[in-house]
Amino acid sequence: MGKTVFIKDTTIGGKDRTRDVYGILLGVLRERGLENNVQLVRVVDIGVYGQGVVVRVLPENFLYTHVEDADIVGIVEQSLIGGKPFAAKLVAEGARQLRIVLRNCGVIDPESIEEYIAKDGYQALAKVLSDTPEKTLQEMKTSGLRGRGGAGFPTGMKWEFTRKSPGAQKYIICNGDEGDPGAYMDRSVLEGDPHSVIEGMIIGGYAIGASKGYFYIRAEYPLAIERIEKALHQCREAGLLGKNIFGSSFSFDVEIRLGAGAFVCGEETALIASIEGKRGYPSPRPPFPSVKGLWGKPTCINNVETLANIPVILLKGGAWFAGIGTASSKGTKVFAVTGKVKNSGLVEVPMGTAIEDIVYGIGGGALAGKSVKAIQTGGPSGGVIPKEHFSTKVDYESLQQMGSIMGSGGMIVMDEDDCMPDIAKFYLGFCVDESCGKCAPCRIGGTQMLRLLTKVTEGEGTPKDLEQLEQISHAMQKASLCGLGQTAPNPVLSTLHYYRAEYDAHVKNKKCPACKCAKLVRFLIMSEKCVKCGMCFKACPVNAISGNRESGYLIDQTKCIRCGQCFEACKPRAISRS
Amino acid sequence: MEKLTKDGLEKLRQQHAAADKNYIKVGFSSCGIAAGAQEVYDVLCEEVRKHNADVEIKKCGCVGMCSAEPLVEVRVKNMPRVFYGKVDKETAIKIVEKHVGAKMLLNDRIYDMKVS
Repeated sequence: MGKTVFIKDTTIGGKDRTRDVYGILLGVLRERGLENNVQLVRVVDIGVYGQGVVVRVLPENFLYTHVEDADIVGIVEQSLIGGKPFAAKLVAEGARQLRIVLRNCGVIDPESIEEYIAKDGYQALAKVLSDTPEKTLQEMKTSGLRGRGGAGFPTGMKWEFTRKSPGAQKYIICNGDEGDPGAYMDRSVLEGDPHSVIEGMIIGGYAIGASKGYFYIRAEYPLAIERIEKALHQCREAGLLGKNIFGSSFSFDVEIRLGAGAFVCGEETALIASIEGKRGYPSPRPPFPSVKGLWGKPTCINNVETLANIPVILLKGGAWFAGIGTASSKGTKVFAVTGKVKNSGLVEVPMGTAIEDIVYGIGGGALAGKSVKAIQTGGPSGGVIPKEHFSTKVDYESLQQMGSIMGSGGMIVMDEDDCMPDIAKFYLGFCVDESCGKCAPCRIGGTQMLRLLTKVTEGEGTPKDLEQLEQISHAMQKASLCGLGQTAPNPVLSTLHYYRAEYDAHVKNKKCPACKCAKLVRFLIMSEKCVKCGMCFKACPVNAISGNRESGYLIDQTKCIRCGQCFEACKPRAISRS
Repeated sequence: MEKLTKDGLEKLRQQHAAADKNYIKVGFSSCGIAAGAQEVYDVLCEEVRKHNADVEIKKCGCVGMCSAEPLVEVRVKNMPRVFYGKVDKETAIKIVEKHVGAKMLLNDRIYDMKVS
């Protein structure tokens, strides 16, 4: 293979020098008559951010950062001619992903069972079926896998409880009712590698002694449903579902149930009620589903990501899996990194990876010209983690210590323009909408908290309101029936904890430091900076800006809806926001 | 399809094990489809047919970099395996003509996936 060189200027702000470096490098190659032996490529993303000019030499994969023009001759002579690293600028590869759950996503055709089998699919099932269920349980306990739905309960123990519960009929359910704002890991796995989840489920069924499984998938995921249906059909044809799988005495089949869009149905007791055709109300635990679940029978509920882990664990062994991650959290976690981040998408990293490696190293940091302020994990049940604490390593315990939770894996990046009371209001509003109304603490507490937060963000708040917010939060945490109500105040508490000054600014000074809360912000055109270009006039959606290119422009404060579009549109930054 | 036995499974696995072939993969999950994967796929098929290129076009799930969809992975023998992001019709045509045909990587289109 000939040499290939990737070039990208990763400097944040300033002129992009990618083309200049490309030109210089090409010149140096021409002098040595090498231009036909080496491919020079300008790339959009080189996997490193904010490190000056970056050059990557393939196939050796030498990575050079902060490359100056003077280094180019050295790189050509050392690496391209000599095949050796150019030591002065060589750096080690930064944070990379480790893909266990997403091993086949984007690799195989999700609608082809043959391609899944070619990637060692159903090998784990064949292996498991030739041994006792106890062996599988033991292997799962060795692996230390914990539920990926959020709570982090050890999967092996959950299976064992269900297996030991008395009763002839048992069920296993795959919880695909993913509802956290900004989280879509499960959808991607169901769409990209449906067979891995099905295989995990069949193995689970064998281990706990269930003959029937249910997929509970939200109806908003039509493509995921279609692909799971197709995959189930292929499994039945191949005899991987049905009677006497692989000639063993084990029989198993799976049905799909669709969620009708209620967030609370992701909670296991509500999910069971929903499958039974009842209203999706949670019920008090105990009895836990592992004792009395679907139709009163012992039931095990696992998240999509948990199940996708299982075939690999059983194929490679629990000890292998336990070698990845931290002391208490094993394996990897998929995060849906979204919000104001350069590379939004799915990231799978070993447990114990620092947040900064995910946000800056893989996510690429904030969008152009802004800086990251915090991340929010765990959706409406989680909390925010300010950038000062980005050295925190992600695992179940450390995120909990930070006042957030692992949750299902949503990671929303927020920048300097995000107002914390407003964020808290958004998440709380979500929970108020989704509260089923069965228990009073969640139904009434949530509504009252939302009322208080609305007051704060509109500049009507008093210091007493903040005290009351905390009081109601603690009451909701203690007294709510299910996880939704118990965790709904978390975003409020964690923003109050880390960003008290921002709340105080809203309450005492009636100002929004992030200039987000519409009632507290004012946009003004500074005539001394204004170049009278009229861009703000064009951008305003409500015609609140009047004037012309001779006399300049003026914002009518009574008409202005504080959307900030003029502010964004103004190139010379002549619009003040305060 | 016949009911699988353990031997049958192993046979199937070997039969479909990755051969050393040229391929183009287009991400066909919700994110890719929403960004226009179908059009890119159609154009790629059309171009490959037109040039009679030695490459197989496949569909796959989401590889994770949803912000750069439609993503197209190209693997041609003796060339680095790369991902093209935000692929439009023109880029799709160029992928077949330049990358697959002339064995030249395209400028200003490649994204790094950061998968170990």
